[in-house]
Amino acid sequence: MKRIDPASAGIWALFLLLTAVPLVFSLVYALLYSFGLTGVLAEGFTLRHWQLFFSEGRFFSSFLFSVGVALVSMGLAAATALWWVLRYRRTLNSRVMSLALYLPLAFPAMVAAFLAFHWLGNAGLLSRIAWQLGWISEPRQFPDLINDPWGIGIILTHYAMATPFFTLMFKAIYADNRVGELCLAGASMGATRSEQVRRIALPLLWQKARPTLLLYGVFVAGSYEIPLILGVQSPQMISVYAVTKMNRFDLDTRPQAYIIALLFTVIVGGLLRWGMGRGR
Amino acid sequence: MRIIVIAVVFLSVIAGCGPGGQDAGGEDLLSLSWDEIEEQARGTEVNLMMWQGGPFINKYMTEFVRPALEQQYGITLNISGGQGTQIVSLLLAEKEAGKKTGAIDLGWINGETFYQLRQIDGLFGPFADKLPNAAYIDWDNPFINTDFQQPVNGMECPWGNVQLAFIYDTLRVPQPPASFDDIPAYVAAHPGVFTIPNEFTGMTILKSWMMALAGDNSLFEGAFSEEVYKRYSTRLWQTINEIKPAFWKEGKTFPETLSALHQMFANGEVNFTFSNNDGEVDNKVNLGFFPATARSYVPYPGTIQNSHYMGITFNAPNKPGAMAVVNFLISANAQLQKFNPDVWGDGTVLDMEKLPEEWREKFKSLPSRRYAPRREAIQDRALMEPAPEYMIRLYEDFRKYVIEAD
Repeated sequence: MKRIDPASAGIWALFLLLTAVPLVFSLVYALLYSFGLTGVLAEGFTLRHWQLFFSEGRFFSSFLFSVGVALVSMGLAAATALWWVLRYRRTLNSRVMSLALYLPLAFPAMVAAFLAFHWLGNAGLLSRIAWQLGWISEPRQFPDLINDPWGIGIILTHYAMATPFFTLMFKAIYADNRVGELCLAGASMGATRSEQVRRIALPLLWQKARPTLLLYGVFVAGSYEIPLILGVQSPQMISVYAVTKMNRFDLDTRPQAYIIALLFTVIVGGLLRWGMGRGR
Repeated sequence: MRIIVIAVVFLSVIAGCGPGGQDAGGEDLLSLSWDEIEEQARGTEVNLMMWQGGPFINKYMTEFVRPALEQQYGITLNISGGQGTQIVSLLLAEKEAGKKTGAIDLGWINGETFYQLRQIDGLFGPFADKLPNAAYIDWDNPFINTDFQQPVNGMECPWGNVQLAFIYDTLRVPQPPASFDDIPAYVAAHPGVFTIPNEFTGMTILKSWMMALAGDNSLFEGAFSEEVYKRYSTRLWQTINEIKPAFWKEGKTFPETLSALHQMFANGEVNFTFSNNDGEVDNKVNLGFFPATARSYVPYPGTIQNSHYMGITFNAPNKPGAMAVVNFLISANAQLQKFNPDVWGDGTVLDMEKLPEEWREKFKSLPSRRYAPRREAIQDRALMEPAPEYMIRLYEDFRKYVIEAD
């Protein structure tokens, strides 16, 4: 029988206590709350909150919208970052470019959302520039880039925030895994530039970056401040939807906020497990 | 793993079944004399949670109230940011955790928060009658003694009184719609420049509009009536949906916050913004945020007037201190400062007839509003707040029947 080292067992127990237990505790608490079994206004076991939640039918559109925003903004950001790293890697090492890449990382999401609001709004800076140039006859004719039903403002803001981060990540992976040297080796064996990128660089970068990309995607799908300021009421991203239910004038909608959080966690957890598993 | 799950279920049940809402030593307090309460309050710290979105309000609290309390009682007033929903969430969490001593003593609340806090038994009281300065409050005024059709009964203390007003720029809108009935024609003739915020102020507009459509304010007195709500909310959604394509962004979305709408008004993107404080336009012009050509008015037949209050939390660790703070806030001096449009411009809850002559004169000699109508001019257009359920239903149905309607 394998002997358990008491020190490592203690570290594992501490790790579980700090990570898994609070998470599982929260999920169980949310579940009990949703069934009316806990909370100040608990009325005893009831399916009423679940019935109300499903009869409203907003969760899945909100979930799909959140996932869609995450996929599009992440896809664009990852593609841009890859293009920069593969094409302009040396330029990225310059002091100015380093500053340009690190600076946006210091912006909180709320600040980024307000900047987008001022740049992209119908009476924002871009709109005024277009008006000054005579492209539009008055600022409010500027196309709806924020508070639009397609989430363009949300996507552009997340894109602007994620691209520098992904560029730095891909740059580090490129250097650490000697992708350049492997491409040279490929070239010496007759691979064309396109083949070096498609068969060596991209698969390597993708493989190493995939877990981070997936987790960042979850972060974007669950983001709050940016969709709160730049989104619309319908469809609403999942966090805004949940917080609206939580902070409603009607305290009776709070259990539904717990249901949203619970379902989001379970579905995203399942998707992550599937996504991570596929990569092994 | 099984052990973890069992432990978690156990902890969850324990958390939910804990002693919900113990009084942090408040019942005895109400039997003490005011001198004894004041004595207990001296040299203590009071934690106040309030909305901190107005620079003039913040300045009043930090530069006038805080030093005055320090000087008068030696009280240190700690102010943290948070609106009604945050106060309710905090107290709910504390109740669910069975926390006997809370994080805050005092909260700035109004009707819908009062309604929620009464539901969860989250307030300490009745304490207002204990305050010596409460003798000057205009308790006979139904806009002060009743909050969203709920009698205040000393469970919260009136602090200020305001009325919903429309704000516009005279340069862009020489003739604003004089009544709610005129709004559809204005919106149809000026597409893309009118919207309402999808929050408290927006719902107050909808309530006022619904009451205007009903034509009889008495229908909204007393308890919530499903029949009244159904009849007039249907008319309201019909009216709004007819002009919805002419709303800002074709009515497909609405600003989520009032500050966003203020910003859009200042940028010239929309022609109107709103305020629950009829005097706010003076603040905003003085700050340079709105142009000097901005004005506010109350469309016919009127808008909702309500009061905002101070409530002491059920588990406030320093109830005597909180009572002393509230007593100061409703003093003639504190109310006078707040009433000044150059300071805050918030309506007073004091009855001028009850005040000593000296203070009455001071109120009269204050600089008058320059951009907002005088309170006397709009008092005949003040509507009582209907029961809280009207707001709850409007909020839900506005999304269902307007925002998501094709």
